[in-house]
Amino acid sequence: MFIQIRDLQFQYKNTKKNTLDHIQVDIERGEIISILGKSGSGKSTLLRIIAGLENPTSGSMKLNGEVMFDPRTFIVPEKRGIGVVFQDYALFPHMTVAQNIKYGLRKMNRKQKQERLEEMLSLINLAEYGQRYPYELSGGQQQRVALARALAPAPSLLLLDEPFSNLDAHLQEKIRDELKEILKKTGITSIFVTHDFADAKAIADRILYIDEGQLVNRACDLVMS
Amino acid sequence: MNRFHWSRVHHKGWALASLLFITIILIPNLLIGVEFFTEGNDNWLHIREYLLKDYLQNSAVIIIFTALATMLIGTSLAWLITIYQFPMRNFLKWALILPLAIPPYIAAYTFHGILNYTGVIQSTLRNSFEMQVNQAYFDIMSIQGAIFIFTVTLFPYVYAITRSFFQNLSASVLENARLLGGNDLDTFFRVALPISRAAIVGSVTLVILEVLNDYGVTSYFGIQTVSTAIFRTWYGMMDLDSALKLAGTLMVLVMVVLMFERIVRGRRKFFDPSSKVRPIQPKKLTGAKAWGVFAYCFGIFTIAFIIPLLQLLRWAFMTYEKVFNAEFITLAKNSVLVASIASLIIIFVALIISNYTRLQAGLLTKFISRVTTLGYSIPGAAIAIAVITIFISLDQYIVTFLAQFNLKPEFVLRTTLIMLIFAYVIRFLAIGFNNIEAGFEKIGNRYSETSRMLGASTLRTFFMVDLPLLRGAIASGFILVFVDILKELPLTLFLQPFNFSTLATQAFKYANDERVQEASIASLMIIFISALCIFIFHRVLDKEAN
Repeated sequence: MFIQIRDLQFQYKNTKKNTLDHIQVDIERGEIISILGKSGSGKSTLLRIIAGLENPTSGSMKLNGEVMFDPRTFIVPEKRGIGVVFQDYALFPHMTVAQNIKYGLRKMNRKQKQERLEEMLSLINLAEYGQRYPYELSGGQQQRVALARALAPAPSLLLLDEPFSNLDAHLQEKIRDELKEILKKTGITSIFVTHDFADAKAIADRILYIDEGQLVNRACDLVMS
Repeated sequence: MNRFHWSRVHHKGWALASLLFITIILIPNLLIGVEFFTEGNDNWLHIREYLLKDYLQNSAVIIIFTALATMLIGTSLAWLITIYQFPMRNFLKWALILPLAIPPYIAAYTFHGILNYTGVIQSTLRNSFEMQVNQAYFDIMSIQGAIFIFTVTLFPYVYAITRSFFQNLSASVLENARLLGGNDLDTFFRVALPISRAAIVGSVTLVILEVLNDYGVTSYFGIQTVSTAIFRTWYGMMDLDSALKLAGTLMVLVMVVLMFERIVRGRRKFFDPSSKVRPIQPKKLTGAKAWGVFAYCFGIFTIAFIIPLLQLLRWAFMTYEKVFNAEFITLAKNSVLVASIASLIIIFVALIISNYTRLQAGLLTKFISRVTTLGYSIPGAAIAIAVITIFISLDQYIVTFLAQFNLKPEFVLRTTLIMLIFAYVIRFLAIGFNNIEAGFEKIGNRYSETSRMLGASTLRTFFMVDLPLLRGAIASGFILVFVDILKELPLTLFLQPFNFSTLATQAFKYANDERVQEASIASLMIIFISALCIFIFHRVLDKEAN
């Protein structure tokens, strides 16, 4: 198994109930997984725990055979080699598109960085946009830059948090297809979180349903809002 | 799994640095706290038996009446400016904050100069109209006078905070009140005042803390308060222990005030961040009403800012040839130098602590940010006496330590600027911290999380992402701290090294030596720089709000 999560529990401070309860997940290399659930179901928390941005109460996770966390270990997010695209993209506003994409490329020389940048820009069809600042881009373009930035360091896993929630409704379908194409092209293992069944169905190889902090088996267990 | 285990505490470097700074800040406070409960010497028994009651009574009277007066003036101005359109409203809107640029001690000797026997009012009446007045009506060096000075210099705190609260109030709240049949006065008392209780109480608390911090006004007017007593016990009797006990008494007063604020404010917040507001559109006033409101607002601005400024300018023209010399340049340089160094250190420390408290939420970081903001509520005199005690024993340690190697130190810490800057950092760290914390809150955690997911450590993230995004908050924090240090009197007076003065302390010294005219240029310089910063600051804030 490429990703193996066992008995994961998570509780926010000041709450009595577990936000996540006994989560078990297995994911194979190259799979595109969607985590589908209502708001407040704990799906974003699960994503943040996988990324290393939250500290689980108990449980363990292995990524590509390496322990990311267990009762004795905790690998900090910068050492996990996981890429994330946040809901609001979080493009650094003081950097150009090119600087944003090159941010995660640290062990390369200047020439390699430039090559990787060009490769990424053409992957997202924004070859001419390197010198622009994020605020000069449309929402859909910003999202693609965020995706390119996350993919540039060649992470072993890509996480996407509600990738379509910030986009106009009429754009969603087009961008969904684009995203699927890019993910398939790179062959990267991806997990994305959504509350929209149509999004999940369109992109994912497999859907994990989450409700009140627990993974449930069937879609009909889940009353979607 | 134990969440609090050290191996799972992230950002260890940031944690250690923050804890170190916090400890340094806590030491003087702990010293005062511990000393407060020890057995006192004869001096202390005498002070407690015969003097303390007067000190406390004077402080209490000044605090209560200043609080009431600033509340009345500040909230009424805020209300009028918010709901009415009248002549010069847009100018007065920010001009009414300007009196904050005049430190109370400067206002004290300026108004004394205006009102005393040789002052402009009495001499004009005497020489041009042959009128002799009853001196009792013109005596400002009294408790009433001190209340007047504090009121005209500190009401802008209440005005500015309450006004920005009103501004964030939704227009529909007031419209509803009107629709329910209340007139404007009715709406003010029944809706606006109760709604803004937290803002008013918070700002009046700031005023009270400033009054408790004061040394200049009360000492110049010869009023005995706890602050002035601390200085006299140390300078007059060289009695550190009793001075520390007085500092403890002052801290108890501060705690009472802060507790009172808590109780009155309850769980109310200053602002309601949840709702998008439709701002209140000011109602256009015409005729007598418009001019009446104008006269009230402009009258207060005149008394609090224009009159003292004109008097200082007149004195400056009389004395500039004598005062504006190489020595004055040195004073200005000294002021800028210590204020810059201390502000830089404060911003540096504030950045580290606020970054840590942001990265790691929890009890420890909550405690750390509480302690960081503690200093601003502790009066300068109390900090000064605690810091001096610490440095005296530090110096002793250093001397005995070096003596083992037959060395005699060239200087001791007490005679250097280190002691003064140390005290500034403790007192003003809160201002820098609040600004930078607000800056962090504004940019949120997304950018730094993204940076870490791209493989950057917290340190690299801090330099590449956080710092550039915080530029504005850093600049405004620096300016605010810088201005406060420039105006600062009690700490500087107490802790400045021999042969070292700043604009503030030299001005105060001139005034005390009955050379008040010669204090004018230094005073004007302080006022000018402060006013400039206030102007820039509120312009920037206003622009951001739009």
